[in-house]
Amino acid sequence: MKQSLTIGWLYPELMSTYGDRGNIIALQKRCEWRETGVEVLHLDLHFNPNQLSQCDLLFMGGAQDKQQQIVTEDLLKKRDVLSQMIENGIPGLYICGAYQFLGKYYKEANGNILKGLDILDLHTENPGENSSRLIGNIAVKALNNKIIVGFENHGGRTYLGAQIKPLGKVIKGFGNNGEDSTEGVIYKNSFGTYLHGPILPKNPCLSDLLIKLALEKKYNSPIQLSPLDDSLETKAHNAISKRLKIKI
Amino acid sequence: MIMNALLILIGKLFSMISRLLNVGSGSTWPGHIALSINKNFIKDIVKKNPHLKIILIAGTNGKTTTSKLIRTILQKNKIRVIHNESGANLINGIASVLIQNASISGKLNSDCAIFEIDENTLSLILKEIGNPDFLVILNLFRDQLDRYGEVNTIAQKWNESLKKISEKTTFILNADDPQVAYLYLASHLKGACVKYFGIDSENQTAEKTQHASDSTYCPNCGKKLIYNSIYFSHLGNWECKKCGYKHPSKTFTKSPFYPLTGTYNEYNTNAAVLLSKELNIPTQIINSALHEFKPAFGRQEILNINEKKVQIFLSKNPTGFNESLKTISDLKAKNLLIVLNDRIPDGKDISWIWDVDFDDFSFQFKNVVISGKRTYDMGLRLKYAEFKNFKIEENLEEAIALSLEKTSKSEILYILPTYSAMLETRKILTGKKIL
Repeated sequence: MKQSLTIGWLYPELMSTYGDRGNIIALQKRCEWRETGVEVLHLDLHFNPNQLSQCDLLFMGGAQDKQQQIVTEDLLKKRDVLSQMIENGIPGLYICGAYQFLGKYYKEANGNILKGLDILDLHTENPGENSSRLIGNIAVKALNNKIIVGFENHGGRTYLGAQIKPLGKVIKGFGNNGEDSTEGVIYKNSFGTYLHGPILPKNPCLSDLLIKLALEKKYNSPIQLSPLDDSLETKAHNAISKRLKIKI
Repeated sequence: MIMNALLILIGKLFSMISRLLNVGSGSTWPGHIALSINKNFIKDIVKKNPHLKIILIAGTNGKTTTSKLIRTILQKNKIRVIHNESGANLINGIASVLIQNASISGKLNSDCAIFEIDENTLSLILKEIGNPDFLVILNLFRDQLDRYGEVNTIAQKWNESLKKISEKTTFILNADDPQVAYLYLASHLKGACVKYFGIDSENQTAEKTQHASDSTYCPNCGKKLIYNSIYFSHLGNWECKKCGYKHPSKTFTKSPFYPLTGTYNEYNTNAAVLLSKELNIPTQIINSALHEFKPAFGRQEILNINEKKVQIFLSKNPTGFNESLKTISDLKAKNLLIVLNDRIPDGKDISWIWDVDFDDFSFQFKNVVISGKRTYDMGLRLKYAEFKNFKIEENLEEAIALSLEKTSKSEILYILPTYSAMLETRKILTGKKIL
């Protein structure tokens, strides 16, 4: 039987400012190249929450502040379904603004507090106009000591609660807050991160992990993905590692 | 003022030396030095020349081309202009142009100054020169988010600084860009008048919304805009069904002649022609200037290299890149060289290449070579857009040689570079630096 996945892309119109579409393309192509059926559901403003539960894998990117405010209102209405899916181990990748959303709150530069979805034990604070944004190439050690590379650009500093694990440890760059060397979050099969780049094309190990987790969850059995030729991915990954003076 | 005379003298000497040594003819150092010694340098020179008409051109894409179009038309009408033609559009660049053209006493022997202005510099320059005679705003697209911030952030900054402009200024705004058209309403502008350009064409409507659209939500109330037609990205005939805000009626939508291909250049040309009409330049003069127009460096500029034609399409952000691809594909391009850099003028974040709709062009080109500091990222982008058989050559000189070799004498090699990549490519092809 041919396997297939349904990927839910949350707010592609509003939450896709930093090339995050590349993550969807990476997931989609890596399924197609393995002849795994793949469908991408575009879940835009006012989508029906029932559509969420059809998804085997979720993705949401970052956005401009104004667009983020529009999304907050809509997403708060769907909070319970999303929370249930995350608790049930439906894999998902949440980048930047989406990652911040999963937490308790976001404190804006002017001190104003924006309510989060309160699904994960984390919160984000923007230290104000006088603090600079955290911008630049970043490398993180994650997923059993693999190097994950990307580009970060965020004003907010995210702090994790005591009971929740970071995605990895920062080797070069700032990560969650530029203070504690943590980057991102990992909870059950959900991953939150500040890495753009976009993250997946240059880090195929993470793309494949998401696909594998989604298939295993859906078909309730262990899955071995067939290997793909990743030589170009490796070169792109190594080029940036080399630039950051990280031993490959 | 003796100080300014000295600064002008030093600046001129500096320019002369750098020209002699061929280390970049449009150096911004004279301006840098002048402003660090007298921060009111620009203000002083402008005050000294009350007769000088000032035209500012801002926007994400098309500044250099539009400025050059305006310059060509004005000069055809025997108006003496100064212009930051090398594209040095930060405050140092503006000061440098003044130094180059001023006499030691600070007097300018010209009627009109045409300055293209960087998005982040617009507020600064308005503080210096006060009220320009014309302010042209072309568009606002996502571009170098690590340097400029998000589109809304720039729009807000602009709103603030435009509020201070007096009745002296005429605004030339793009009616098809919701965010740009809204500047007039949001800033409660006092300008003498506002004129809107745009395009109106039945057969140019894009089939689908492009992914890299930034302002498809109402700038007034936040509701999703309805488009009766989309020309590209978020440019089109838009309307908000909730608050009733809609694209203003356009004063000018059809130039008698378009010297450059591509829908984006129709906008640039319409903006330039509209402004020229406001200056009462006769239609005949405008028309013949447009026919004589030569593209600015790297903006559809054609170079002849060893009996082969090379055409450079600067492509530095998703919307610009999409339009370049569409335009060269309409020109039946066979040979393509893409050069992706991530130096400061390009933006250090190259994530945006994933917002470019490469997928529509996977089978379009016979020979594709890629190069630049982020070659492998571009390689991945093309791989995931299912491009086949593209060649990767990190070394730009070799990439150019390889591309030229693949291009036959009757064909054109199209080069799509980011900003610093364009300068490097031109230097290799012509042996000369522009900046």
